[in-house]
Amino acid sequence: MKSQGLNPSLFVRKGGELPLSGSALLELLRAVLDKGKPFRFRAKGSSMSPFVKDGDIITVSHLSGLSPRLGDVVAYVCAETGTLVVHRVVGRMGNCFLIWGDNAEGRDPVPEANVLGRVTRVERNGKDVSLCLGPERFLIAFLRRRELSWKTAHLLWRIMRPMYHWIQGLA
Amino acid sequence: MATQLRLTAVCAPSDDVVAREIEGEIIIVPLASGIGDADDELFTLNETGKAIWQLLDGKRTLQDVSRELSAEFEFPAGEIERDVLGLVEELLKRRILVEVSGT
Repeated sequence: MKSQGLNPSLFVRKGGELPLSGSALLELLRAVLDKGKPFRFRAKGSSMSPFVKDGDIITVSHLSGLSPRLGDVVAYVCAETGTLVVHRVVGRMGNCFLIWGDNAEGRDPVPEANVLGRVTRVERNGKDVSLCLGPERFLIAFLRRRELSWKTAHLLWRIMRPMYHWIQGLA
Repeated sequence: MATQLRLTAVCAPSDDVVAREIEGEIIIVPLASGIGDADDELFTLNETGKAIWQLLDGKRTLQDVSRELSAEFEFPAGEIERDVLGLVEELLKRRILVEVSGT
């Protein structure tokens, strides 16, 4: 017989499938990273395309005391809007990082304290996507800083990659 | 053999989860592996599950929780107790809650 009571229920949701607003997502991300654990959520927008596309599932991990490196993709709180943003570190200026979307205009000088974590994984349609976090990240950061598009950076990396692997093979 | 959960038990959220009320919904994120069936699972509760969760503060017994909900929802205490025990057992099994005392 069906209970006539409260019928409390626990629901299981796949990580990243929860539709969270910016402030809610930020609160949850902070709480999980504060415990030193990674957090997965669904990315919105195209400012990091093609490396992160709208709807991709991204994993943000705690910085573990290590400052973000040039070319890393990080999650930070935008000082102006207070919202969560995921963009790439393209340089450093005093106590701030210069952080820029691969497919966006404008660089944000971001105080180190506003950087919450590092993007360590991107999944699209169930498969891992490369964020270009190898040596090519220097090139992407360098070219973005000079306001060249990711397409140019990507093309240059494709040309240089065989040489890089050949040098690695010699070492 | 598993110990039967009693109404004198006192339960609290586990340190292995982060739980937040976001936009009116309780969202529970496991921090340790093995709580969900997959590493990327999150948990949410329905409205009445949320009402129970909010009273599981590590101080009230399950009987206290049932009494408060019985008054709030105007349901017979016996039925509420059965619901509270059912949900708490599931949350304990998944290590989302821990029993503080009272077995």
